[in-house]
Amino acid sequence: MGGVRGWATQEIISAENLVVVYQDGTRAVEDITFRIPEGEFFGFLGPNGAGKSTTIKVLTTLLKKTSGKVSIAGFDLDKSPGEIRKAVGVLSQETSLDVDLTGWENLHLQGRLQQMSGKALDDRVAELLKLVQLEDVAKKPAGRYSGGMRKRLDLASALIHRPKLLFLDEPTTGLDTQSRAAIWEYLEGLNRDEGITIFLTTQYLEEADRLCRKLSVIDRGKLIANGTPTELKESVGGDTISLTLKDASLRTKTKEALKAYPGVTNVVDADSGVVAYARNAGQIIAGIITTLDRAGIQPTFLSISSPTLDDVFLRQTGRRIRSDELSRRETEPFLT
Amino acid sequence: MTILYDTQSLLERYLTKLVRNPTLLGTNLVTPVIFLVLFSQLLTKFGEFLPTTSGGYLAYLAPGVIILNAMISAPQGGVSMANDLNSGYLSKMLLTQVRRPAILLGRLVTDMIVAVAESVITIVIAVAMGVTFSSGVPGILLILLTVAFFEFALSGIFLTVGIRTRKTETISAISGLLFFPLIFISSAMFPISFFPSWAQTISNYNPVSYASDVTRELVSGGLDPGTLAAAYVLIGIIAAVTFAATWYQFRKVVS
Repeated sequence: MGGVRGWATQEIISAENLVVVYQDGTRAVEDITFRIPEGEFFGFLGPNGAGKSTTIKVLTTLLKKTSGKVSIAGFDLDKSPGEIRKAVGVLSQETSLDVDLTGWENLHLQGRLQQMSGKALDDRVAELLKLVQLEDVAKKPAGRYSGGMRKRLDLASALIHRPKLLFLDEPTTGLDTQSRAAIWEYLEGLNRDEGITIFLTTQYLEEADRLCRKLSVIDRGKLIANGTPTELKESVGGDTISLTLKDASLRTKTKEALKAYPGVTNVVDADSGVVAYARNAGQIIAGIITTLDRAGIQPTFLSISSPTLDDVFLRQTGRRIRSDELSRRETEPFLT
Repeated sequence: MTILYDTQSLLERYLTKLVRNPTLLGTNLVTPVIFLVLFSQLLTKFGEFLPTTSGGYLAYLAPGVIILNAMISAPQGGVSMANDLNSGYLSKMLLTQVRRPAILLGRLVTDMIVAVAESVITIVIAVAMGVTFSSGVPGILLILLTVAFFEFALSGIFLTVGIRTRKTETISAISGLLFFPLIFISSAMFPISFFPSWAQTISNYNPVSYASDVTRELVSGGLDPGTLAAAYVLIGIIAAVTFAATWYQFRKVVS
């Protein structure tokens, strides 16, 4: 036993100057610092390879950090990994179940490995099977479950020992829309009704926006923005005006014209065009089109939308998190 | 809660998986049964040349085939460990409070149980074919203990390879490579006196010979304590080396 009991501290996760360098020299996490209070629904948003999974592996005792100071539920990561394992539940990115065992057996075994036994364990297994709605298939081998069912069973097994803190590494990657919505509902319920602190990583903007009360945007091992989803989106500086250009050589000229336009707060490069940010874009868009037209610039595509978390990422890095997310954004096309 | 609880939990997991995949157990039994039935029939006349007193070639062959079960069960643990590493299940176990050695112990005990169970079946077939186990039940129990111990000593080779390479193909290749020379250049199938001198030399160092000789003496009823001691010392040395290698690789994964 080391450190104070988890409930005695307000911060359930504290990471200071965390650095993770792999043996091959890859710098996966570069000096990040963050604190998460108990009861929070916190997320790491970032593209593939940003360092999200590495951070989770370190915080959950699976991977050794290179340097930095980490405390989880009041316990020092270096001194009391065993106590940390008691306090946290982990849902890994790859669903890991024993496909030969039934749903019930998977949960029961997980409970035994978490040092539970007897009626207390049997009751908890029944309770969780009910929660994730797998009671009907509890006696079937997990190998015959669909992807969504497996994820739900894996989530249940992460909860078996009633952890106060739940780590989820890309919990809905690869799931269909319906399964994703189900997982979201469970997570919201666990946070709201049982007060479980949740730390999740995601590359889905919608997921981060809907679930997380606090977010850190992570890219190439560094935290590049922090705040509530609303704060982050407001930091972009207004609505988003996206323009696609036929001729890339017009890019500089377009940017200059937009920057000079009153109300435009910022202009950045994006894919095959530019993105401008402006308060009340709807009111000034007609004027912008006229101005561009006079300058001989005719965008092939133009749209206005409220800022998304992708715009936060774009503004910080000049890149989109995922290009296919872009096409899914709700846009109001303005054809010229 | 103790390490025994964790070992038992994992033992139950591994045994349940085996019961759910009966083909694996069946396949494992094919070789000993075929060897026992086929060789004893094909080489009936060979018995006339044997120096042993009674029972013919079948009585000579049966103890060697029983030892075969230890060799066939040995690679299973390595395969299982490689699969758990690749599927992420081992990581999942490491995220729990399970005592780390139990993960290895549960697996080792499972494979010893399988080797013993398959030896029991082999013994039943041998008895049905007319082999007399002159040392009775105590003798059979000592035979099964020898099988379990030998299986344990060999399984470390495959556990080490499985944990290090995470490739089941490598384990199959190594077991295939070791199996035939170890079995045939030993006293398991044929008396060493029939071999050319180079093969006799190899046989004299082959642990399969030692394990087979103990079993054979127990079947015929005249166990020489020297044979038993030599076999257990040699198997013990192998076990110490292979377990140390396994533990070294396992520590690297779990810490």
